[in-house]
Amino acid sequence: MSRPEHAPPRPLLGHLIGLLIVAAAAHALTVWALPRVIMAEVLRVTRVEGSANADGVLRPPPADHTARRIVMPSPDLLYATCSLDVRDRPAQITANIDYQRYWSIALYADNSDNFMVRNDREHGARALRWLIVSKDARYPIPAPRDVEIIEAPGTKVLLLMRMLLPEDSAGRAAAEAARDSLRCR
Amino acid sequence: MSRSRLAALYALAVILGIVSAWLWLTKVGPSGVDAGVWRVNLLAGSTSADAYTRARIALGALLALDRRETLYYIARSDERGESLRADCRYRLSGPAPAARWWSVTAYDEDFFLFENAARRYSVNGDTAPRDPQGQIIFDVGPEVVTGDPPDLPTQGAGALLLTLRLYNPALSLQREPGSLAAPRIDVVGSCP
Repeated sequence: MSRPEHAPPRPLLGHLIGLLIVAAAAHALTVWALPRVIMAEVLRVTRVEGSANADGVLRPPPADHTARRIVMPSPDLLYATCSLDVRDRPAQITANIDYQRYWSIALYADNSDNFMVRNDREHGARALRWLIVSKDARYPIPAPRDVEIIEAPGTKVLLLMRMLLPEDSAGRAAAEAARDSLRCR
Repeated sequence: MSRSRLAALYALAVILGIVSAWLWLTKVGPSGVDAGVWRVNLLAGSTSADAYTRARIALGALLALDRRETLYYIARSDERGESLRADCRYRLSGPAPAARWWSVTAYDEDFFLFENAARRYSVNGDTAPRDPQGQIIFDVGPEVVTGDPPDLPTQGAGALLLTLRLYNPALSLQREPGSLAAPRIDVVGSCP
């Protein structure tokens, strides 16, 4: 039986639907993948550059117009970062932060979500002792009394420490000293 | 239809999908709440951000904190509704934001800091000039060789982006970021 003349050939309609599905899938995949690709690169660069230091911490200089790594850098903060891989073992974070102004330590998942942040007022003056573990960890997790266990949603974590950078040189020195106490192992 | 033509069409569909995502993420303004000419994205840094918000944040403000810790207000236009430009001078004025600490930073259209001889990249709670009533008041604009230099220098003739960061904002602002009495952004003199 012959097809009516005005009806589109069935293969053409199928291809049109297929093209729409492919375009929509490419659109969705791009939106999904972008933060993960960007974070993977940030984690990689932090790991490579941080590994040059025995404590695993990357301590960039204060942001100025030459800072081109992360968009919209804050020139008012002093940063320290660590790239952590908690797939096969937990990451141990320590710091003794004696600093009277704002500071925070934030943890980011590999999709860029900020799943945890702690600031100076919340933490207080005590020494910082964290153990970061993957929520799917299959390794034994030690639980010393003075250590806080933090569960990461995945296996790759970026730690970002922020310290308010005052104008005066004494304040800047105090911020740098506090930042220098951070260790990621 | 030949196989090669079909393959080209599917490749085109992939490109169309990628380009449409890119345009949507970079050209369509982010959703959020307005406070004057400033807009704040309530899901920045949040684990409950949708895929588009997460991608926009990754492109324009990677490693943001959530609103309990920091609120990020962004201004792209002045009080007249005109787009901010690096070759125009603007006066920011208003009450100091209710936060433990705050700063206003000027960014070039590439989202990076403006080069300037004075190395002034932000005005913050410590450095902001204030009028006799305690209101903050400062200028953003091109560096001038003589006369009255701006507090926050810009360069070039491209777009200007201002970011107001509030660290540990007041609880009322965390709940209702749109209630911020945000600094006005008024153009000073003529804007070419």
